[in-house]
Amino acid sequence: MSHSTVPRSRTEADTTGKTPEASGGATGSRQNKPKAKVSWRLRFRRDRVLLLMTLPAVLLILVFNYLPILGNIVAFEDYDPYVSDNGIVSMLHSPWVGLENFQLIFADSSFWNAVQNTLVLFFLQLILFFPIPILLALLINSVVRPRVRALSQAILYLPHFFSWVLVIAVFQQLLGGAGLFSQLLRQHGFDGLDVMTDPNTFKFLITAQSVWKDAGWGIIVFLAALSSVSPDLYEAAAMDGAGRWRRMWHVTLPALRPVIALLLVLRVGDALTVGFEQILLQRDAVGPGAAEVLDTFVWWNGVRNQDFGYAAAAGLVKGVISLGLVLAANKVAHLMGEQGVYKK
Amino acid sequence: MTPNASAASAPSRRSFLASTAVVAAAVAGGVPLLSACGASDSGSGGGSSEGKGVKKLLPAFVASNVVTPDIASKNGSSIGFTSKLDLAGLKTSVPKKLGKGGKVSIMSPFWGSPPKSDNAYYKAMNSLIGVDVTWQNQDGNTYDQKLGAVLASSDIPDIVVVPSWNMGGKIPSAIIGKFADLGPYLAGDKVKDYPNLAAIPTDAWQRCIFGGKLRGLPMPSSYVPNIVPLYRKDIFDKEGYEVPTSADEFMALAKEITNAKAKRWACLDMKWIAFNMWGVLSGSEKSLGWNLVDGKLVNRVETQEYLEALEWTRKLFAAGYVHPDAKLGKSAATDPGPKFAAGEFLIYPQDISQWWSRTAEQATQNPSYKIWGMDLFGHDGGDPTLWAGSPAGIFAFISKKASASVIHDALSVANVTAAPYGTKEYMLTNYGVEGTHYTVKNGVPTKTDQGNNEVINAYVMVASPASTIAHPDFPEVAKAQVEWQQRMGAFTKKSSFYGQQITEPSRYTNLSNDFEQLEDDITRGRKKISDMQQAVSDWKSKGGDQLRAWYQKLLDDNGTAAS
Amino acid sequence: MTAVIDQPVEPATSAKSVRPPGRWAAPPRPTWEEEPGKVGLAGKGLVLTLACLAILFPLWIVLVTSLSSRKTIDQAGGLVMVPKGITFVAYKELLSGGQVTRAAIISVLITVVGTLFSMAVSVLCAYGLSRIGSLGHRWILMMMLATMFFSAGLIPTYLLVQSLGLTDSYLALILPSALSVFNILVLRGFFMGISQELIDSARIDGAGDFRILWVIVMPLSRAVLAVITLFYAVGYWSAWFNASLYLNDQDMMPLQNVMIQLVQKQEAPVGLGQAIKTGELSGLAVQMAVMVMALLPVAVLSPFVQRHFKKGMLTGAVKG
Repeated sequence: MSHSTVPRSRTEADTTGKTPEASGGATGSRQNKPKAKVSWRLRFRRDRVLLLMTLPAVLLILVFNYLPILGNIVAFEDYDPYVSDNGIVSMLHSPWVGLENFQLIFADSSFWNAVQNTLVLFFLQLILFFPIPILLALLINSVVRPRVRALSQAILYLPHFFSWVLVIAVFQQLLGGAGLFSQLLRQHGFDGLDVMTDPNTFKFLITAQSVWKDAGWGIIVFLAALSSVSPDLYEAAAMDGAGRWRRMWHVTLPALRPVIALLLVLRVGDALTVGFEQILLQRDAVGPGAAEVLDTFVWWNGVRNQDFGYAAAAGLVKGVISLGLVLAANKVAHLMGEQGVYKK
Repeated sequence: MTPNASAASAPSRRSFLASTAVVAAAVAGGVPLLSACGASDSGSGGGSSEGKGVKKLLPAFVASNVVTPDIASKNGSSIGFTSKLDLAGLKTSVPKKLGKGGKVSIMSPFWGSPPKSDNAYYKAMNSLIGVDVTWQNQDGNTYDQKLGAVLASSDIPDIVVVPSWNMGGKIPSAIIGKFADLGPYLAGDKVKDYPNLAAIPTDAWQRCIFGGKLRGLPMPSSYVPNIVPLYRKDIFDKEGYEVPTSADEFMALAKEITNAKAKRWACLDMKWIAFNMWGVLSGSEKSLGWNLVDGKLVNRVETQEYLEALEWTRKLFAAGYVHPDAKLGKSAATDPGPKFAAGEFLIYPQDISQWWSRTAEQATQNPSYKIWGMDLFGHDGGDPTLWAGSPAGIFAFISKKASASVIHDALSVANVTAAPYGTKEYMLTNYGVEGTHYTVKNGVPTKTDQGNNEVINAYVMVASPASTIAHPDFPEVAKAQVEWQQRMGAFTKKSSFYGQQITEPSRYTNLSNDFEQLEDDITRGRKKISDMQQAVSDWKSKGGDQLRAWYQKLLDDNGTAAS
Repeated sequence: MTAVIDQPVEPATSAKSVRPPGRWAAPPRPTWEEEPGKVGLAGKGLVLTLACLAILFPLWIVLVTSLSSRKTIDQAGGLVMVPKGITFVAYKELLSGGQVTRAAIISVLITVVGTLFSMAVSVLCAYGLSRIGSLGHRWILMMMLATMFFSAGLIPTYLLVQSLGLTDSYLALILPSALSVFNILVLRGFFMGISQELIDSARIDGAGDFRILWVIVMPLSRAVLAVITLFYAVGYWSAWFNASLYLNDQDMMPLQNVMIQLVQKQEAPVGLGQAIKTGELSGLAVQMAVMVMALLPVAVLSPFVQRHFKKGMLTGAVKG
């Protein structure tokens, strides 16, 4: 990589001496040409290759995402896919009911219960789950022995490949009423555990299961970010007298900031999706009062009965709110000096 | 926080373990455990398959005299066979090949790995029938989604199998719109061209009437309730437990058995048995939940017995007699087999077919294991009041676009698969080719590995003979099963809408959605009986009373088959 | 450090290590880094060990159960923690019949082709969107972002694929789910961090955007490219629903579907001419064996993937 020698010294000339504030917002906005009054045509000429690069992706998304999304029109209909010979034609022939599906949804008390469960679970996971991959990534990153790093990393992300059916079966085997720990407790005169079927601790159980299954997988993105920090930065900071923790604060964490910001914004946008299969499988164990989240609510009331209009309406509600959340979160990220998902 | 590459909405993989209980119930006995399988249609106001014109639509019934069962059907039970298989003495019920050599494509749910399309079993069946069948075996657990999508497209296979548990939502509307009227081929005496189809009980045929026309080919089942309280007879005998005959005795027995420290509980969720003990109307299909009482239609959720049954079940859970795994509910339930074999619980309610399948499973590894079925009893110790289930569980439909010759070929396939037990056709359909797929020793057929791989699902889904119980390997179990059905059948009454194929208007689809949930919430102590009473009165005002009026009109117009 | 000439300077390591450093040893510490504190080291070790145990124990259970006979499983009442004898009957059940090998090959092909395709399109798109101020990039970004929140129902998607004639074709397993906007955003984020000066200087040298991407940006983004390749590959490898939806010909089924079917076979409903599991084979063991086999590719490929995550691997000016 003969290129790297030249840029490296140039950037280091930029960053040594001042606190490396690796905020993408500050640096990425410079352009080749002065900002003011660049005409459309010029910009097109300059950027046409870039646009060409995006073309295959745009085409794929238009065809395979946007075309079917138009099918959400059934949210405003009492959709019967079989009223005509072809499901698409049926979309046009089904009776129009306007906002009736939406009214049905909002009038349903179990919908609001589901919203509440969803939001509570989201915040719980934000606080208890989101930081864990970051911490683990920092931990693993600080392990020097490469074999230990590789091995522990590999072990940690194995559960990602388990199916939820299996994860729940294993949890039941260990923590269930007839499970390992329960039997141990009973041998010593206590009652068995109830965590798998207790509605009050259900959300913590879900979060714990998610951590067990997916925290290791989440490490990957952060490790990639950490591995892209040049060791020379650490050396430079050490030369300046920064100890271990100060190096982490001034070099490591700033390297992670943009990635964390991006993922956080996306996570907030995804706030209304807190898991489906995992919760569906355990819904009966604790009852829908504690377990119903938006996705299972839609499945239970819409998809299961093939009431696609209802399901589409719920999907639209969820989509609009999520989009709003992402935009808001992105704004917040900007205020904190980060790129977020996109920048103005 | 796991990113995934798929943009298409990928629905969940529901536990295949749980759904098999549903399927087992529907196939072997009649009705699935889920209560939300009542059909509901879209624009039109729903309908029924009873009615004055119905007699004209139905095929004539001509009992098969090819094979005589060892135990005849009585009180609605299945027919039973307990004698050994006599290969040489197999009769034939299809003297002449009816197929004309045409091609027929069939889409059907399949549990397991579908064999290669040109396997020996399919070849043998095709040559016996005289039709070239191409199978589209679909994943059984996601079948409802695939079915919904395929039916919405314009490209439908010639035959489509739809189990009753997939009849929810708008599927009945699809059935009416996309599948052929078989009346011109089967009504009245025309069915005599297909003698095995003529031998299918009329009750089962009546369930195939959709939108006023005969459209489906049925898999008949016994209408006697199919859920049996199965128990470990060997452990009962060893510990001196006695089979209970009343609700109180059951509770006392449960107390005796339960010893959590020794990892033994009495039972699993006994809700369905409780319903039987209190004579609650069947919850397996929406229309079966209604009955005429003193001139007024009453729904099962409105009865006092319903609440009492739930209360008893709640007490059972609260006392800790129920195995903790049962509290996980049906969606995450793992196969209770290993725990039952380990003796972690001794009683559980399941489809009657497991009386035999568990016995067969354990026979070689654990000879002392003995599973048996308890008789159902009234909660006060007297005779139980049982309500009939459905006389047919799985249906095969033929595409409207199929030509007359394809329909004829399809019916030829059905004629062979509906051959009664004891015929060559039955053996080929269910066991395959002798020597290749199964061997017979001492009158007991045993499938080979190839047989286990190739001879599963598929052809049996098209049509079946009248409900039959035959286990040459365990004839005493077969006898016990049939006699159980006969005894219980004597107490089984038919509710007002028994046997009818009814589709409720779509506005009532979600009306009783929550009841099953509520039942589970109450039995597990999360909600109270008063919550149910509230839910029932909500149900009445939000549409229950209107539904009642709708059903009443149906009754007035069409009459009833109630007993 | 003054060198004393008549005394041999002992290498710093010789006092500590009598034998050559084994494969598990730590690499020599850079001069500027302090020695790790004992408490810190112990703490890290404890956390890591606990985390790994929390995962290895259930893994152990899965492995043991997959190697257990029906009798052992019945005695244990389900999942087995203490092994009692080993039997490979579950694995035999899975691997005999040739379906699995064939399906594995199909899956490998789909994963390789699909990942290459997805990566090509995604990297191009991510770079195309990564230059601030370029024409229309915000619109395209918005358009993509929207698809993350609004999804299409099953029937419209199926009808689309069907009307494009893609049913019973492997393209149906690649095209509809080829792109993950999340992945594109992550790639874009990393690309945006590449210094503008580098790109400018290359432009001055006359390089076009394609060349810049290929010669400058991609080599600098090895870590994130590895990560996203991994994500896509895992996505393709574990996808099963699209296959069951769009493929009717069972001979075309990829591995995940075949695995699921094999498990289903063990739990299949009685009465449909099904096989009863007599003898040693337990449905639960098959289920666990499927799980173990699913983990094998992960375990095998891990080392290759992790080569890209070495500490400080990436040199160069990547700002944030």
